[in-house]
Formats: sequence, C-alpha cells, structure tokens
Amino acid sequence: MISVSDIKVVFGKGTPLQKQALNGVSLTIEEGQFVTVIGSNGAGKSTLLGVLAGDVIATEGQVKIGTTDVTRQGTAARAGRVARVFQDPLTGSCGALSIEENLALAARRGERRGLASALGPQRRALFRERIAELNLGLENRMRDRMDLLSGGQRQAVSLVMATLAGSDVLLLDEHTAALDPGMAEFIMTLTQKIVSERKLTTLMVTHSMRQALDYGHRTVMLHGGEIVLDVSGDSRKTLQVEDLIAMFRKMRGQTLDDDALLIG
Amino acid sequence: MSLIAFWGAVELGLVYAFVAIGVYLAFRVLDFPDLTVDGSFPLGAAVAAVLIIAGVNPWIAAAVAMVAGAIAGLVTAMLNVRFRILNLLASILTMIALFSVNLRVMGKPNVALINADTMISPFFGHGLRDFYVRPLFVGILVVVAVVVVWRFLESDAGLSMRATGANARMARAQGVNTNRQIYLGIALSNALVALGGALFAQTNGFADVTSGVGTIVVGLAAVIIGETLFGARGILIALIGCVLGSILYRIAIQLALSSDVLGLQASDLNFVTALLVTVALVLPRLRRGGAA
Repeated sequence: MISVSDIKVVFGKGTPLQKQALNGVSLTIEEGQFVTVIGSNGAGKSTLLGVLAGDVIATEGQVKIGTTDVTRQGTAARAGRVARVFQDPLTGSCGALSIEENLALAARRGERRGLASALGPQRRALFRERIAELNLGLENRMRDRMDLLSGGQRQAVSLVMATLAGSDVLLLDEHTAALDPGMAEFIMTLTQKIVSERKLTTLMVTHSMRQALDYGHRTVMLHGGEIVLDVSGDSRKTLQVEDLIAMFRKMRGQTLDDDALLIG
Repeated sequence: MSLIAFWGAVELGLVYAFVAIGVYLAFRVLDFPDLTVDGSFPLGAAVAAVLIIAGVNPWIAAAVAMVAGAIAGLVTAMLNVRFRILNLLASILTMIALFSVNLRVMGKPNVALINADTMISPFFGHGLRDFYVRPLFVGILVVVAVVVVWRFLESDAGLSMRATGANARMARAQGVNTNRQIYLGIALSNALVALGGALFAQTNGFADVTSGVGTIVVGLAAVIIGETLFGARGILIALIGCVLGSILYRIAIQLALSSDVLGLQASDLNFVTALLVTVALVLPRLRRGGAA
C-alpha cells in the first residue's frame, strides 16, 4: 500500500522562479492496485513519481510505503521498496555492463552487497530463465553489453530487472514513450502480464489516454499540481478517451494543439 | 638496449602497474578524473622510506603507505562529494596540499634507502641476479593486486561501484549509495598508487618529493596503451592490459632514449611521454576509419 498525504512540492522556493509543482496531493493506493496517471506537461506527474521514488523530497506532507514513513528517505535508502522503469531506456540500465551484470545489480536492489561473485552458476541460470521468458532471444546474449540492445529490448530487460528483487511498489515513468508503436505494445502487454502475475502495486505515468484507460484499475488525472480526476470501477469502464480530452480542454481553457500526442 | 636496462624497464613498468590499476579504477570504473595520484605516489614512497629508516618492518611500512594513500583519496572524495567541488579541481587541491605533506613526512626533499632492509632484500643473493629478482618480486605483487581487484569488481559490491561510474542515477534506483562508492573507489585507487610509490622507493633506494610529477600521465598512458592493444573485453583483460601497457610504455621510453639514431636525452622524457599517449589515443580512432 502507498499513501501520500497532502504533499506539497515547491521548486526554487523564495526565488523569482519559484514553482509549486504539487499543491496538496493526497492519494492512497491499495495493495495490488494498478493506477494510471495522466496530465499535461507541467501537471506534476513526474514530480509525484519523484516523490514516491525519493528523487524529490516533499516540501510538506507525508509519504508512506507499506507502513513505513519514507518522506525524508533518499532514492537509495528506499530502493528496497521501490522498483522502477524509466522513460529513457538508457537511464534504467547500465550500458557499459552486460545484460547479466545488470540483472545481478537489480537482483540485490536495496540489499547489502558483499564480496561474493555477482554471477554464480545458480544466478546465471535464474537470469537466463527469466530473460528467456521474454521470447526476444536475449538469453543467448547474456554477456553482451547492454548498449548493444535496442531501446525496446532494454525496456524489456528493465522490466525483468524491476521484478527480480521484491518491492512494495512498481513505478513506471512513461516507459513506452521512447519506443516505436509495435515495441510499445509489446512492452505494455509484458507489463500487464508481470503486474497481474505478481500482483504488484503499480503506478504508471503515461501520456497516452488510450493506455491510461485500457490498463490498470484506476486512473488519476493531475492538473496544476492537484488531482482533478480520480476514477475507478464502473464509472471508469464507461469513460472514453474523448471524455478525457474534453476534460483536458476544459482544464486548460483552450484548444489543445497536441491532440495527436494525447490520443497516441 | 642492454639486458639490465631492459629488465630495469620491466621492473619500473611493474611498479607503475599499481598506478595504472589505480588510475583505471578512478578514470574508467568511477569516471572520476583523479589527479591526486601525483601526490599519493610520492606520499607512499615517503611514508614507506621514513618508516623503514626508523626500523619498521618494510611490509608494515608499505601497508601504512597504502593507508596514507587511501586517506589522501578520501580527502579528494570528500571535497567532491561533501563540498561539491568539481572532481578534477578537488583532486588538484589534494595533490597540491600533498606536496607540502610529503616534505613534512620526509623532513627534507629526498630520503635515501640504500643500505636499509626492504621488502625485497631477503630475496637477494639466492643465486638469481638482482636485476631479475626485483621485477620478479614486484611482478608477483602485481599479480596478487590484479586478482584482488578483478574479483572485487566482479562481486556484488564491485558491481555497484561500476554502476556508480557508468550510470549513477540507475545505481541509486538500485539502492546503491553512490557517494559511498566514490569514497571507497578513490580511496582504493590511491591506496594502490601509494603502494606503487612504496615499492618505487624500495626498488630504487630513495624517496623524492618530486617523483610524483606526471604520475597521472604515466598511469593514463598505461591504461590507454592497454586498451589500444586489447580493446574492451571485460575486467580481467582490462586489468592485464593496464599491467602490460605500463611495461610496454617503459620499454618504449627506454628504446626511444637509448637509440642513438633519435638523438634523444633523458630530459626529453616528458615530451616522449606526451607523444606516446597522443599516439595511443589517436591510433584506435584512425583504425576505426579515420574520423580524426
């Protein structure tokens, strides 16, 4: 379970560039719930994700993951609770390390790391098995450097990495945005499979209205650092992409000039 | 080149292999351009020499030299991590400060070790000539260092250090305390460099405050020559590349200086070094299809 209460985040406080990125956001996500988050640029989606991951420390408010208060913990300190897939495939994995080394790194997320060899035969077999499940043929390239893989392949491996060690929450930060449509669909199907198999509490930020409604149990829309829509259950089932776009328009008080991006 | 000159070059190359491995850790593994080595090399030499003259067991003296090097590294890491000083500048500050520290340690610019018992002395006079014993002894220590650093970098702990240098954001997301990795890595790097300095003092019979000048360039030269020859094929190959690069560098220098045809003299050393590093840097680019 995640509970965020009355989070406020101010960037550049006291300077002329002061910006209120989050303005009193409260959100409780039940164990095993899959929440999609939408909102225009600057709505506060990334900041919310950052607050959960530890990249951004909230100015006010409280963040709890499970029963633990993590409000003041940095990224590394709470990594044992938070698994994450980044928007940029280059951010989520180490290009200079091999596929299996990346997996070894992720398998110890949030744990103490000792002087034992990172890649014993048992671990190698486990990693190979998990990568083989992707059906991308990567299991025969375990010793290849990560930067030899395509963006889509790297995201697929990143998803596996996110599930190697246990976590209380999975954060997906527009993780298909940098991919071509075919690969994006493959990654979303994979995401769906992993999340439902492992019953992961998941927060997915997306720019695609379609994705936001098609996946998960609940959709939250942010605007101006506040939650302006929070739908789940039956009312969400009847919600159409057009409705969301209409809401976006109303919110902005103007015609959107990037419809294509939003519908995507 | 005479036999003695050749083995002398190999010996010096092996001593500087510790510097090369240290430079590899800082520059390649952590992506931290660390010039502290210009100070921690003579620091290691100074500490070892002074302790040995004071009658301390030379092995303990070398261990203390390593600790001193590690502390120098920690200072650089602290200036960078804690006080947010640019890494290169932080290391230059430590390097400059170490010049004074080294003078204090020795009490004078130069300490001779000619008749003192060193780590190597027990091995002399067993039938093998001295100019073979020295490189053999240092070579065994280099092999130990390579194996230790290799196993470390392929362990879970080492993997988090490599991730810190390659992608710090990802490392943090995996729960790696990247600041701690910088402290640890730069300390380890400078401990190795200081050990190189301690061995330099013992094989050459003196410690000199100016012996650190250009250590970084020599270390980098070795790393780059190694990479040029062996390419990027895993940690062990890279470390072996550092060692062989360091030896080849010394042999190349020795050849250049001893060939009458070129008309070079000892004072041309720094120019030849710069030239060699430049060639080692440019060569792979030319081979790849010439976008120089």
